[in-house]
Parts: sequence; structure tokens; C-alpha cells
Amino acid sequence: MPYKYIGRKHDFIGKTLWEIVGNLKNFGMGRIVARSRFERYPEPSFLKIIKVETLPNPEKPSYDDVRKVRVWVEKVFRGVKQPKPMVIESTSYKTDYKLIPKDQEDAYCRFKEVKQEHVKIVPKTVDFPPIMQELLKRDMISRGEKVTEVPKLELVYNKSSKQKYKIAEKDEKPDVNITLGLGTPISPSLYEGVKL
Amino acid sequence: MFRLTNNLKNLTLSIEELSANYTNLQTVRWQRKPRWLPVAKSKVFRIPKKPETPQEDNLELQRLFNNYRTQIKSLRRHFFYKHHIQFLASEDPEQQRIIFEKDLDRCNKINDKWNAEQKVLREKRAQENLEVELEFARKRIEVENIKREEHKQKTEEYVKKVKEESKEFITAENIDKAIEIALNNPVDYNYALTPSGEKIFGRENNEFEVKEKISVKQ
Repeated sequence: MPYKYIGRKHDFIGKTLWEIVGNLKNFGMGRIVARSRFERYPEPSFLKIIKVETLPNPEKPSYDDVRKVRVWVEKVFRGVKQPKPMVIESTSYKTDYKLIPKDQEDAYCRFKEVKQEHVKIVPKTVDFPPIMQELLKRDMISRGEKVTEVPKLELVYNKSSKQKYKIAEKDEKPDVNITLGLGTPISPSLYEGVKL
Repeated sequence: MFRLTNNLKNLTLSIEELSANYTNLQTVRWQRKPRWLPVAKSKVFRIPKKPETPQEDNLELQRLFNNYRTQIKSLRRHFFYKHHIQFLASEDPEQQRIIFEKDLDRCNKINDKWNAEQKVLREKRAQENLEVELEFARKRIEVENIKREEHKQKTEEYVKKVKEESKEFITAENIDKAIEIALNNPVDYNYALTPSGEKIFGRENNEFEVKEKISVKQ
């Protein structure tokens, strides 16, 4: 009987981790699996299996619980290897894993050739909205200060260590242009015939 | 709400306009299905297609939203630092009172000045309005007077006319004379008329006419 699928499609392509690991010798230790979701990035992302533990049957088994497994992996994400091995358990049920055949492993895992991505330099300040700028100038004048420079708004960025950008210093010229209004479009074809 | 239906008229592509009578229209349900009703049976196995946005659209939208969010976040922080009570410099209350009073004084002066200006304007406007109203009233009086005069004249004319007519009325003094005349001149209206206006009397009521006729014959 042909299958009849019901419900919405997801974006996953592949099998659950247990479906792969359960069929391999030694539970696939030393083998390489990859998430198809991460294949959208140009840099390689993959997982090298170090250790596998099966899980006991849950007390109240649900469809997803039954499919889970605990796997220790070495993770490489977007060409960057994580310093410590990590455990995959809660996401192991996702039908998004694929096994890389042994003869293709070398070709797939060329993460050492990945160039370090250029760190973007983002501007530190931006112009205030026009009316606000005028108001700020008036404020300064009313306080008896001299308006030598146009007041600028300091931009707020997410300052976590994972960000691949840095805020421009005094002499540095920012790569990214943040302006009021539309700015310079990435895809100019969308603005054909429009005055920017 | 109504919707035009696809009927034969549309298929034949007639040039005449679609008539607005109700045979062409179809009622459309106004409200949508309430949220709490289950999915319709016919729609249970329907899988809506995932929307596909082109890559360049995605990139452009991402850029625009990133810019927007960064700037709004920055503005929000700016306002927070500027106006939050935590960052406001605390001042001496006496000093604050003096500043407040000075400011109030200044505001009052400005207000008084404006009031004085407005007073002049207001009085001028009131004067003008009064003039206009007085002029209007004067015109009204004139018009009323003319009307009254006309009415009076009309009434007088009417009275004159009635007086003229009343000369021939029968009063207590001349009633005997009127009766006499009436008795002496009996009139018989019991006749038929021909289209040319000729009077045709009957056989029985032609007494007076017969006399006349006889007299004519004589």
C-alpha cells in the first residue's frame, strides 16, 4: 500500500540519529554524520561520533522519546571545530541526520581549508532622526553649549563573543553602512526604476 | 454583502451593463469562521504549500530589518539614559523650587502678554459682530414695514370691494320690496339646454314662456 503523508512538511532531510547509529558496527564510533539543515552554509558542518549510549524506555513513551539516543560528538560548525566534545540527546530524534560514507569523508570534511571569515567593522554611531537632531541642537543651545558637531546616536550591538563583527574605532572605516532610510541595497534589482 | 455571479450574460460578452437587480448577485457570508471551530472535514488533509521567497528578497529584508532593529534599540537606550530617574542628577529642592517659580513667572508673563493681545482682537471682533447684527436688524425692520404696508393696502381694497357689493344685499328695510319683486318675477329653471345654448322648456312648466309666446304671436 502506498504511503499517504498527512500534515505539513518540515525542512528536514534524512534519518534520526538512532536509525543511523543503531545499524552500524560499534554504534558507528569514529564515523561522521551531518545535519542536512546545516548544508545551506558554504563552510562544512559535521559531527564525528565518539561514544554512543542507548537510553532506557521512557515511562510514558511518546513517538519522539522512543527515537532518542545519547551520542557524544566532536562538532564542527561552519568550518570551526568546537574545543570540547558535546552530547546530542534532545535533538537526536530529528530526522535530519545523514551518514557520510567512508570514502567521502575526506572530501566532506575539508574544514581546515576554510578561510577565516573577515571580521566586519560596524559603525559606532549613526545620525539621529532629522527632527530629533534639531531638537537636540536646540537643547544644547538653550543650555548655553556651543554646537560644534552634529549630535550622533551611539549604536547598540550584541556584544557576545560569538559575533563576527567589531565596532569601528576612531580611525577605522566601517564596512557596513547603517544609515537612516533605505541605505545601499544588497539586491539593487529589487529597486529597479525606483529613486533611492 | 453581495458579489456578482458568473452567468450567461458574462459569457456572451454583451456590451450592455450588468443590471443591478438581485438576479445577478449572490450573498457573501460576512463573518469568517470562528477560530475555535475545528478544521473543516474537506480541509483536514490539505497541505498548504510553503511560501518561497527569493534569496535576494530575503537578504534585502534581513538587511533592512537589522538596520531598523539596531537603530530602534539604540534610540531606546538613548532615551532610557536621558530620562530614566536613575540617571537624572538629583538637585537641591530649594534650588528646584526657585527654578520652578522663575519658570512659572516667565510663563505667566508670556500668558499675560498673549491675553492682552487676544483682548484687543476679541473686542474688535465683538464690535464688528455687533455692527453686523445691528445692520441686519435694521434691514429686517425695513422689510417688515414694507410688508405691513402692503398688507394694509390689500385689506383696504378688499373692504372697499365688499362695501360696493353690499349695496345690493337684502336688509330688513328693503325686504318687502325684494319679496314683491321676487313674487312678480317668478323664474323657472327647470329646462334643458341644447349645445348651442338654447333653452328647451317642458310641456308642464312652460306656463310663463307660453304666455310670452302668445304675446309674441299676438
